[in-house]
Amino acid sequence: MAAGRNWNWFHRMGSPRWFYETTGRWLPWLWVLTLGLMLTGLIWGLAYAPQDAKQGNSFRIIYLHVPASFLALAGYYLMAIAGAIGLIWKMKLSYMVMKSAAPIGAALTFIALFTGAVWGKPTWGTYWVWDARITSMLILLFLYLGVLALQYAFHSQETGNKASAILALVGTVNIPIIYKSVDWWYTLHQPATIKFTSAPSMHMDMFQPLLVMIIAMYSFYGLALILYTRVEILRRERKSSWVRELALRTQPAQVDQ
Amino acid sequence: MSPQFDSLKQLWDMAGHGPYVWTAVLVSLAVLGWLLIRPVQQHRDNLQSIARQSQRQQLQQAASTSSAEPSEEDK
Amino acid sequence: MIAESQGFAGYLRRDLLLAYRRRGEVASPLIFFVLVSTLIPLGISPDSARLAELAPGIIWVMALLATLLSTETLFASDYQDGSLEQLLISPQLLALPVLGKILAHWLVTGLPLTLVSPLIGLMLSLPAAGLLPMMASLALGTACLSLIGAVGAALTVSLRKGGLLLSVLVIPLYMPVIIFGSAAVQSAIDGLNWLGPLAVLAAMLSAAAALCPLAIAGALRLVSNN
Repeated sequence: MAAGRNWNWFHRMGSPRWFYETTGRWLPWLWVLTLGLMLTGLIWGLAYAPQDAKQGNSFRIIYLHVPASFLALAGYYLMAIAGAIGLIWKMKLSYMVMKSAAPIGAALTFIALFTGAVWGKPTWGTYWVWDARITSMLILLFLYLGVLALQYAFHSQETGNKASAILALVGTVNIPIIYKSVDWWYTLHQPATIKFTSAPSMHMDMFQPLLVMIIAMYSFYGLALILYTRVEILRRERKSSWVRELALRTQPAQVDQ
Repeated sequence: MSPQFDSLKQLWDMAGHGPYVWTAVLVSLAVLGWLLIRPVQQHRDNLQSIARQSQRQQLQQAASTSSAEPSEEDK
Repeated sequence: MIAESQGFAGYLRRDLLLAYRRRGEVASPLIFFVLVSTLIPLGISPDSARLAELAPGIIWVMALLATLLSTETLFASDYQDGSLEQLLISPQLLALPVLGKILAHWLVTGLPLTLVSPLIGLMLSLPAAGLLPMMASLALGTACLSLIGAVGAALTVSLRKGGLLLSVLVIPLYMPVIIFGSAAVQSAIDGLNWLGPLAVLAAMLSAAAALCPLAIAGALRLVSNN
């Protein structure tokens, strides 16, 4: 405990129980917010936004592709930061968040790649194009898979967590380098780039639903992260009394009397 | 802002781009949905198994403390 | 032998000596490099023009794979015979001996690859203009690859089937190096400025030399307490 300054709030935040109970109260609102935003954004983008002059209606895929890409990248940084906090302050909860962020981020990266590929067919005539953005997304997917693989490779959960945290940090340092390198590599070989995700040159009517979808995706990410972390908390703290009381309180009698 | 399509069929068709847009949308939503449903299921399963374990332990403790007396009532 | 190993120079000397004793083992990445480069004409085409087009990239990919192959064993023998523990409990900055080991590793893998590359270039019809840039980029690049690979090797040293996992972890991190490495060669062949990409490689090497030992030290400490 640090003398002088009261660090109670910090250490309390690191308590899995505090996290579980607090997020439990937020969850219903978060569900409503996420589903509401998603529905609004999708309907707006798919049915009400004007179509693109050059790409027609296939451009509507942007409303899933771009938010997924954003969150895939942001999610990696979040995962690395959670890992760093775990390493520096040895906070169990932080490792749990890091562990939860990995599958969510990997899935979002997959969505970004899949939607990108499907979008590519009507736009460029082929499902796979080695353009800068897609290639960077692919590398990001590999980075996520590496963290996931490392986490489960060790017998000791603690070692797995720390190793993943180190790897995630190494990956974080590399991400800007990778993005810049791939960008440069692409312009080297393909001088004319079709930028179908350039936000500034987008019409306001197309940009607004995109903004809604991006916010919706942030909300989704937060919801998913909290859900996964809560499961991880139950798993790790199953022997503690508050978890057992909670289980007994909320579950009907399981064992025959 | 007004609807871009005059009917649901047109919305589905998307002037020929329908298969692409809807494949992308449906697969994405399926993945997103799975991302949310799986932890909810796991959460419930975990609570159930913890409850079961605790109850079993409670019963065992109750049985062992009352082992001296004949236990016809509670088994 | 172990008592004498202190600091950067100590571990450099020690690892070079160990490598010399196992020079058969150590030669395999080099042989791999040469052998696989022979596969390319067999698999693609013996046509000089086509090979020349692909040569820079192919040679770089081969060099990358050969380096990756050799990185697996960087810390493995030390971990098994306990000298890694010795390294960790000794009262010195862990980064220095680690750098010594990696330099030894590069001298024994990256440098031979660099020196043999003109031969491979010849076999794959690499234009003459690309020769010097090839060697320069390989020299800098393989050093980078050794450093980055060592991070992965440290993280997986305690795992039994660590080799495949090592590749999964390290190859994404290798990608910027190969991008600029082969670009340096291709630029020279196209008559463009190749010192630019080379400078980027040098910058990457400096950054890797500064940062990788930190990650490696953290990883080694971690898995030794496993």
